[in-house]
Amino acid sequence: MIAAEPLFRAEGLSKRYGGVIALDRADLTVHPGRIHAILGENGAGKSTLIKLMVGVVAPDEGRMTLGGREVAFGNPSAANDAGIVCIFQELSLIPDLSVADNIMISRPPTRLGMIDRRAQRRIAEDALERAGAGDIHPRALVKDLPLSRRQMVEIAKALSRRPKILILDEATSALTASDVTKVFEVLKRLRSEGLALLYISHRMHEIAELADDCSVFRNGRRISTFAAGTKTDAEVIELMIGREYKHAFPDKPVRRADGRPPSLQCRGLGWGNRLKDISFSLHAGEIIGLGGLDGQGQRELLLALFGVLRDISGDILIDGDKVAIDSPVAAKSERIGLALIPEDRKTEGLMLPMSVRDNLSAAAFDRFARFGIIDRQRQSALIDEMIRLIEIKTASPDLPVSALSGGNQQKVVIAKWLMNKPRIILLNDPTRGIDVGTKQEIYRLLRRLADDGAAILLYSTDYDELIGCCDRVLVMYDGAVRRELAGAEITERALVSSALNVDDSARAEASPA
Amino acid sequence: MSETTASRPAPRGMAMLRRIDPAVAASFGCILLLLLVGSLYSRSFLSPDYLLQQLKVASFLGVIATGMMLVILLGQIDLSVPWVVTTGAMMACAAAAHGTTGAVVAIPFGILCGAAIGLLNGIGVAYLRIPSMIITLATNAVAQGLMVAYTGGFSPQDSASKAMRYLATGNAVPGLPNAVLVWAIIGAVAVWLLSRTTFGRAIYAIGNRERAAYLSGIDTRRVTMLAFALSGALSAFGGVLLAGYASKAAQSMGDAYLLPSIAAVVLGGTHILGGRGSYLGTIAGVILITLLQSILSVMQISEAGRQLIYGAVIILMLLIYGRQKA
Repeated sequence: MIAAEPLFRAEGLSKRYGGVIALDRADLTVHPGRIHAILGENGAGKSTLIKLMVGVVAPDEGRMTLGGREVAFGNPSAANDAGIVCIFQELSLIPDLSVADNIMISRPPTRLGMIDRRAQRRIAEDALERAGAGDIHPRALVKDLPLSRRQMVEIAKALSRRPKILILDEATSALTASDVTKVFEVLKRLRSEGLALLYISHRMHEIAELADDCSVFRNGRRISTFAAGTKTDAEVIELMIGREYKHAFPDKPVRRADGRPPSLQCRGLGWGNRLKDISFSLHAGEIIGLGGLDGQGQRELLLALFGVLRDISGDILIDGDKVAIDSPVAAKSERIGLALIPEDRKTEGLMLPMSVRDNLSAAAFDRFARFGIIDRQRQSALIDEMIRLIEIKTASPDLPVSALSGGNQQKVVIAKWLMNKPRIILLNDPTRGIDVGTKQEIYRLLRRLADDGAAILLYSTDYDELIGCCDRVLVMYDGAVRRELAGAEITERALVSSALNVDDSARAEASPA
Repeated sequence: MSETTASRPAPRGMAMLRRIDPAVAASFGCILLLLLVGSLYSRSFLSPDYLLQQLKVASFLGVIATGMMLVILLGQIDLSVPWVVTTGAMMACAAAAHGTTGAVVAIPFGILCGAAIGLLNGIGVAYLRIPSMIITLATNAVAQGLMVAYTGGFSPQDSASKAMRYLATGNAVPGLPNAVLVWAIIGAVAVWLLSRTTFGRAIYAIGNRERAAYLSGIDTRRVTMLAFALSGALSAFGGVLLAGYASKAAQSMGDAYLLPSIAAVVLGGTHILGGRGSYLGTIAGVILITLLQSILSVMQISEAGRQLIYGAVIILMLLIYGRQKA
């Protein structure tokens, strides 16, 4: 690779959690001024490696050197001081504090023992500028910002600590395309300033665009390191999952009109000024994608359909009949048969400390309880069947769901609703931050459900997913459906241009995905 | 690190052992310790008579703590216990004063009054979104006002009905006080409710993550309202039993039950923020608190000293094992 002196080197790192080996004599070399992508399925050891590097956990064996000197970090702040800063997958911001407070949270500038607000604001503005998010007001409360903006604050927070090595652990998974572009510019500038960047992402095209070096991890070990661009996506994915990589997306069947009314139809749906005059029809067997930049009303649309929002205008029709859905209880009723896989599995989808059994049961009591009394046998039978069907990897249904890997947790969220045999399934970015293998399983599952007669509405921030999975895509902008794309029209170019609400004159270029 | 649990299944016995909450085990350990310390002071401490007497005293707290547990599992709190207990007692006695019909309906009437206050709490918390700490304090004050207005601030003259006295002091099964039997039945129903009904599982789900429970299509508001109503009913039932025990109701007879009922639930390993806890733990907590109070009085420590030690021991025990990983 390159001859320059490495900035950081890890050798023979191992970490065990109980009987499970998370990291098995792994090594890694990081050079300054380069972007190093770390690839691997969830559970491959990437997160553990990062945690060792930033002092969250201590290695069982092995050593790390930074700038030629051996280092051992007792806690994250020691690692931060040494110049290794990580932006974790889960946001670490405090919603009720301002952006500036959050950026300076661990070491606020003080004057006479009190926080120097003016200096704090100046540093925050500076950091936000460096992070390419100068438009965020430092005094805005974090809870008022959409998810993608919060991620930018997270990046600014990391930069304010002046790192030598910046680690981004799935840091772009919440970002919209336009934000990703901005972040990439920032990362490239940081690279030219001599920073070493470790970049973990499940999005292949991001890695292709950004990385200089790639390292693939599997089963706790580094399998291979190569210069970016020297392997095809299929080869890389094969390295990651250790088996041959076939089509990422299942084939789309040709749908024939059968004259039945659509499973779900919206007519002029509106909510305050967040949703404007939304009309579409979703037929049984069809997967419709919701595209567009983050925060353009997609989330609200799903919540509105599911009966969570108050004071909705317009009509919702199920199988051609007008219905009023005023709560999730009504939405999941037999007559309507809606299911919503929510955005954030940790706070909306799951009760983390509770068992897989309890989580799978939560939405489907009616299937195995009569007069509120649970039929244990029936419950166990249904749950075992579902665990087998969706291939949830758990030793027992009585384990807390928090003990499962991210991908398996997401499967539980989806399975929990399939227990209810819904006819219309709404999904809010179901593959965010989960590994390639599970993603493919979810794609296949969605298509299978559609083939079995479900109607699916899928919101995704990943263009590949919209292109590969959906029969039609509704692109939203500012609370309204800006454009509807069908079949071969669904291309990255068309998605991006309509998401940005610009005229796409060259739309003839469309090619099948 | 994410695939940690996709490994081998544990043998059944191990799973059973792991199921026992360390807090519950510690509670039972403390009970044994207290009995040991008590027996050093007085021989009679380990006699069956004394122990049965303690169990009887514990059952009043046990009934009240059962309702408190439902509410704490939701992640809420019920501070209206003192005057709901008193209301239950006074209203039951008041009904008992109205001839035969009155005597018959005395117990259900007392419980119903408590359930009504609980329902009010529940509506406030679930539908009006008032923090439970505030609304239950407020209804407690209202209940106090109503009772003081009704009695004129004096101890009421009505006495408990025969049935109430029988329930609290009689022995339907020889050797087993009825109060203990009542607690056992209520406990059994509570265990069944919590583990085998959708209502019980919904309580745990809401306590863990109300948002996720709501989005799962659980009627979170109705469950919350019902849990508060049950808590009120059980508090009032505790009051009815207490009135039967003492033959009559008294002003502020419920004051001594607020902190102990919360402490019993939390000492028994129920997470104060909701979502986790077993009824077995609450049983342990109730017995633990009752024994502690008893030992302090056996030791003939002055009232001031007793309160000090009582409070300090609760804080200490919570520090040792009442805190759980968030």
